[in-house]
Amino acid sequence: MTQTIKIDPITRLEGHGKIEIFLNDDGSVKDCFFQIPELRGFERFVVGRPIEELPRIVTRICGVCPASHHMASAKAVDGCFGNEVAPVAHKLRDMYYHAHYIHSHIAHFYALAAPDFVCGPDADPTVRNILGVVSKVGLEIGKQVIRARALAQKIQQILGGRTTHLVWCLPGGVSKGLKKEELEEIKPMVKELADFAAFSLQLFRDVVLGNKAYVDLIVNGPYTLNVQNMGLVDENNAPNFYNGLVRVVDFQGKEIVKYQPSEYFEHVAEHVESWTYLKFPYLKKRGWKGFTEGIDSSIYCASPLARLNVADRMATPKAQEAYEEMFTTLGGHPCKALMANHWARLVEMVQNAEMLERYCADPEITSDRYRVIPQQITGTGVGIVEAMRGTLTHHYTCDSNGICTSANLIVGTTNNNAPIQMVTKKVAQALIAPGKEPNQGILNMIEMAFRAFDPCFSCATHSLPGQMPLEVKIYRRGDLYRCFRR
Amino acid sequence: MKTLLLGMGNPILCDDAVGVRLARDFSRRLTHIPGLDVVEECSVGGLNLLDVFSGYDRVVVLDSYQTREGLPGDWYYFTAPEMGGAVHLTNIHDTNFATALKLGHSIGMALPDPAEIHIFGVEIKESSIFSEEMTPELEESYPRYSSAIFREVCKLLSDQPAGR
Repeated sequence: MTQTIKIDPITRLEGHGKIEIFLNDDGSVKDCFFQIPELRGFERFVVGRPIEELPRIVTRICGVCPASHHMASAKAVDGCFGNEVAPVAHKLRDMYYHAHYIHSHIAHFYALAAPDFVCGPDADPTVRNILGVVSKVGLEIGKQVIRARALAQKIQQILGGRTTHLVWCLPGGVSKGLKKEELEEIKPMVKELADFAAFSLQLFRDVVLGNKAYVDLIVNGPYTLNVQNMGLVDENNAPNFYNGLVRVVDFQGKEIVKYQPSEYFEHVAEHVESWTYLKFPYLKKRGWKGFTEGIDSSIYCASPLARLNVADRMATPKAQEAYEEMFTTLGGHPCKALMANHWARLVEMVQNAEMLERYCADPEITSDRYRVIPQQITGTGVGIVEAMRGTLTHHYTCDSNGICTSANLIVGTTNNNAPIQMVTKKVAQALIAPGKEPNQGILNMIEMAFRAFDPCFSCATHSLPGQMPLEVKIYRRGDLYRCFRR
Repeated sequence: MKTLLLGMGNPILCDDAVGVRLARDFSRRLTHIPGLDVVEECSVGGLNLLDVFSGYDRVVVLDSYQTREGLPGDWYYFTAPEMGGAVHLTNIHDTNFATALKLGHSIGMALPDPAEIHIFGVEIKESSIFSEEMTPELEESYPRYSSAIFREVCKLLSDQPAGR
């Protein structure tokens, strides 16, 4: 059985995140390109299948945010069947989604964001990870992190029957309701998660806000962009992750547009560049103006910070307090400092926990009227939810037999493709200067720029070694000058 | 000895399905093994794998693999410690497998010893296109590598370390 193995993992050909930096003769940065792989053919793959199957298929697009695709798809399918949905089904789906958010935000904050702040942005990569965090803050906190994730996962399992590949949402509702005994099982878990959200916020205050250099990095570092913001809001312009209107607000706080999901095609278009497979969404009515900042720019962010930037308030009281503290500390609302995305996730997590508490107290939540059988096929549906990493759109059409005739998806990370390009270049230009030798610390500072967006390429990383390698290539006079790989 | 046989991959992402397919095939042929649980399809990584592995003494992972010079259908075997160095890579969303495992052990989770995490990786050709079918190269060589891997899995499963 013993074999000689030459391990040369590349995950897949051209399948790693790649940053290419081109230097001027004097060593300053001329240009910078961030490229990632894109899975191809999904829209074609689903044509010809029964439309009600799509929510069960789309969970296979991504192992990180399967519930986001499931929810967006379910809403699009609801639309194809005339949008008759049992009211409690919307509540149950939303409840599930809040637990999903907590699960994801914990992972990002503790595994990805915290290492930069707890261990330091220029710490050795071998210790700048969740193990490094735990070694600094203590094993007990490590246990709490794992436990909180498990609780959020358990709530999803109780509600939806399973966690990763949901088969729960159906046209008009969900396949199972919430029993009273299940609700009683969930209640103490929700209480623990609410405490954990408050704890995480306090940890952020202690570790990040307690360090002047970090606050300075967030507010005054190169991690800022003057572009617009997008996110779903409810009728009070508070963030709503599962349902609502899409609101776009400029970086000075002025509303550009607020539209129904079904109108997305009038407001968002996608630009293509020859050097990458991934498209660049932009505000259609403004037209593509290139990778430019400014009040007239057609580029927008759709991220946790963007969601809070488009919101006038939070939906729950403790989250509102956290929201006010954040924007006061950062110098006002909205905020252009992209590193504040990490803080925004924690504010969102407080709202997620409070919303779970609200649903636990809702007498309708255990109703057995969790599905309406659709009576008509109307043929078109658009479902938009806020995936953790950006506004996610599913648009389907079907024929009179309910067979899918077209599908169009704009996924969360794609929305942020242009801002990621721009901020990556901006940071590279700020850190790589004539006479300043690029090193691993600089590589991490560049990574921090796009990590703030929590970009999700996990769908491209199923193959062993199970990670998305990152490669930074620096070119001088057209020749490869330095290469860093992770 | 409580053992988990895990098929990793995406069943609609062309060759990425190979681990899932092997797990499904093996599952039908291993019903007589006591203490064996089979999860035919799993596509999570990082910290999420801790939940999947928790409570097992031994885990056998069937997955796809891609190298620069391998041919579709080549297969590799290694245990978690041997894999540790290879996965010291930046993960975009979560942490890598080796780090997650170390974290799980450090906080006292009931996880298998890293030496008892056995990984079989099959070299694939295409995993960026949605398809329910694998590439012809991987399909044609399926009988060869699935038989070989099945033999090795059976050897592993018949190996009950002393004291367990």
